[in-house]
Amino acid sequence: MSPNAICRTGTALAVAAALASLTCDLAAQRRGRFRRGGPPTTAGAPPEPAAPVVKKEIKNYLAIRGGTVYVGTGQVLRGATVLIGDDKILAVGPGIEIPEKAKVIDATGKCVSPGFVAVKARGMGAGSTEDDPKDSVNPFDPQIKMGLAVGITSFLSVSGFGGSMPSGSSAVFKLAYGDLDGMVLKHGHVFRMSVPLAVSQMKTFKDTVAKAKDYLEKKDAAEKAAADKPEEPKPTERPGARRPTGRRGGSQAKGPPKDLATLLDIMSGKAKLWVSCRRGYDVTNLRQALEVATLLGTGVVLEDPTVAWAIPDEVAATGSMVVLSPRDHDEPDPAQPATTGSNIAMSRILSDVGVPVAVHPPAGMFGGGGLGTGGILGQDLNTPHVDAAYAVRGGLDQHKALRTLTLDAAKIVGADSRIGSLEPGKDADILILDGDPLHYRTFVETALVNGKVVYEKSKEPFYNHIHR
Amino acid sequence: MNRATLATALCTALATALGAQDKPSMEIFFGQRPKEFKVAKWGPEKLPSPCYAFTASKLLTGAGAPIDDAVIVTRDSKIVAIGPRRDVTIPDGCQVFDMGDCWIAPGFVDLHCHMMGRNRRDYNDMVNPTNPELRTLDMVSMDHPQVKSALAGGVTTVLFIPGSGTNMGGFGTLTKTAGKFEEALLRFPGSLKIAQAGNPERRSGDLGADKMGMNEGLRRTLDDGYRYYRAWEEFDAGNGPKPKNRPDLEYLRGLFRHEYPVTVHTQIYQVVLETLRELRIEFNLWTVIDHGTFDAYRLCGEAQKVGVPVCNGPRQYHFDRNESRFIGLAHAWYAGGTHGWREPVPGVGRDGIAVNTDSPVIAQEQLTLQCAMACRLGLPYDVAIRAITINPARFVGADHRVGSLEVGKDADLAVWTGDPLDPRHHVKITVVNGRIAYRRDEERPRF
Repeated sequence: MSPNAICRTGTALAVAAALASLTCDLAAQRRGRFRRGGPPTTAGAPPEPAAPVVKKEIKNYLAIRGGTVYVGTGQVLRGATVLIGDDKILAVGPGIEIPEKAKVIDATGKCVSPGFVAVKARGMGAGSTEDDPKDSVNPFDPQIKMGLAVGITSFLSVSGFGGSMPSGSSAVFKLAYGDLDGMVLKHGHVFRMSVPLAVSQMKTFKDTVAKAKDYLEKKDAAEKAAADKPEEPKPTERPGARRPTGRRGGSQAKGPPKDLATLLDIMSGKAKLWVSCRRGYDVTNLRQALEVATLLGTGVVLEDPTVAWAIPDEVAATGSMVVLSPRDHDEPDPAQPATTGSNIAMSRILSDVGVPVAVHPPAGMFGGGGLGTGGILGQDLNTPHVDAAYAVRGGLDQHKALRTLTLDAAKIVGADSRIGSLEPGKDADILILDGDPLHYRTFVETALVNGKVVYEKSKEPFYNHIHR
Repeated sequence: MNRATLATALCTALATALGAQDKPSMEIFFGQRPKEFKVAKWGPEKLPSPCYAFTASKLLTGAGAPIDDAVIVTRDSKIVAIGPRRDVTIPDGCQVFDMGDCWIAPGFVDLHCHMMGRNRRDYNDMVNPTNPELRTLDMVSMDHPQVKSALAGGVTTVLFIPGSGTNMGGFGTLTKTAGKFEEALLRFPGSLKIAQAGNPERRSGDLGADKMGMNEGLRRTLDDGYRYYRAWEEFDAGNGPKPKNRPDLEYLRGLFRHEYPVTVHTQIYQVVLETLRELRIEFNLWTVIDHGTFDAYRLCGEAQKVGVPVCNGPRQYHFDRNESRFIGLAHAWYAGGTHGWREPVPGVGRDGIAVNTDSPVIAQEQLTLQCAMACRLGLPYDVAIRAITINPARFVGADHRVGSLEVGKDADLAVWTGDPLDPRHHVKITVVNGRIAYRRDEERPRF
């Protein structure tokens, strides 16, 4: 069975078969490339996902020339060229030789930026994350164009609100308008839970983590023993047949127990855990989220940790990352003002200790994660750059603030090997902007996803009547 | 062309330009504003405050052109001098704040907010379908967190009005956002709050469930108020007996005396049409459109004709589903246009548009973001600044005190690190009535 076949049929069952899904998930990242005709570089063991060299013949070259290029890492290059080969970035910098057959877009006087990554969003053609999202995405959803118009080129969609154990389903979608195969970047790799946990819930969580660690130890021991024995032939399977479910399946016997699969994925770094701290207004609750990270032995993504500004070093020590809206305001408790309430400087404070931060729209009465047509501009997802601008208001450096929408946001959704910066080998998801990326009047003029121009302001109705 | 001719030509051109600027783009209907206020109470005209001088690289006056390398001097709650640094002599003993590259802007004015509500909720006391007897005056509290947020966002004057839960929510208070309550008061009543439609449909009363019924309910109450007002006018002119005192109609009397306007929660074409007909024309009230959202901007020609200005927000665009366009509402009201099938109509122009937050719908401190978004969708920058300074002050008849930085006006201003509309910039110092009301704590900034 090829990794591809495992993937198509098996992803939905991956929770039940963690070992199988290890192979599967890596393959899933590359599936888009298979479908667009490029052969896998190696059939058996998949290469590292961030392979900088694309070993296939490039059919189309595209160069974006002369713009001020915001690489997404914090670096800015003036008068630089971004060279694209098919769906990937080949080179970025000044004085890059543009192949003769390349199509050229002149970006002189404009800014070039990585496409924005929305860390919490919905709609925009998204499929159901419960199953293989590819079966239900809509690449012609008009909302895709609306998202592109405001600079979003990919987003994380998470279902479930999180309970006392990691749960839910997720996918990173790309706004590859009209391209079914290009829309799903990753699937089933983000789980959610929330703090505060009651004493009994915390105990259950600790017990389950202990069970998972115990399972890993036993598995390691068994693998060591098996390494000495000759390899058994794999059972053959009818092509296209439904894989047996976990409970009945023969291969399941070798997989982890169902209740541990999610935790094991998180502990191995294959999946990410988002911990919602919105209800935790003081450090006690936040520290519980950090304890979860420590128990798992891996950093988590802290969702709206109101008081993380008060204990930045503790957050950094767990290797966790943070998702927030800089302007969300919570009054401190007058009895303990130093450890309660919000602080608009939080993005800067966390950034100073090396914690990656991504921004999302505010939680206000009409705020939220969706693209709006309801008119509340500046509060919904129609102005992601404004959310980053508020991080600057709190003292974050201009260029670092762009990372809250690009590279750091990509890290937080677990897709930074593919998106988030304009670096060779990454997906060509690029914006050409009519001004400073974080200025309130800046509009997207052109957006590219997977190397294709999918949005042009002048050709779409949304904003083409507005002239700066 | 010799130098003298050139100078003359330049002067003529300048005069023409200034002339064009001086001619208002819209005649707002203020009715016959009385010289004597019989119902409304104004706060203190002057208060003691130290002499301060603030220098800045740019000063937005709110009234005319910005001043570069400017200085502004304040004392006893008033502005005593303003101008380019070379032209202004700072009095001896005046404390000087050299604000370097900072900008100075007038304290901003928000005409639509419910900021002092409890638990960040609207003030909707739904006693009757119409409540001319209610007032926010007793709700004013300078300890409210949103008041501090207002200062952190450079907002120094607010019209704190009841919510839109009933057709007539009660009377709003025009107040500054710092100082003791009595000192902060600018005017009470600031306005009558009417909610014409688009929220008060509670289906609870005996007045019908939708627009026709609600219009009828408003008409009855206003008619009562009008009769009461007339009876007092007759009595004052010596033509009638002294009317029986009616506390529930007393503030409506001031409304008909044009001592203050009615600010109307009104949105959607048909509802705004009724606002113009019923309130402005039928009852001859000094009327201000609040919200003015959805497709109501198509009435910009009519509003301009009958002198009704627009305080737009919190929605900043209308998504036109036929054309998939994001129409900037403030810009649409400002500029007018053809609006689809119609003949071109004028807009309310630079003098007829303001922008609001409707806080806590949009957090009070984000008034400037509301303006920035209006600007993003087409409203010219200078009009956007007017929309949160002189224009709203004028709509409610308080422009002799607030809304611009001019000698003799109240010393309400904020020192910004740059363009106030840019969310990346923030307030360093806010001054209200000549006193420093807010200083940003850089370790833990509020906003």
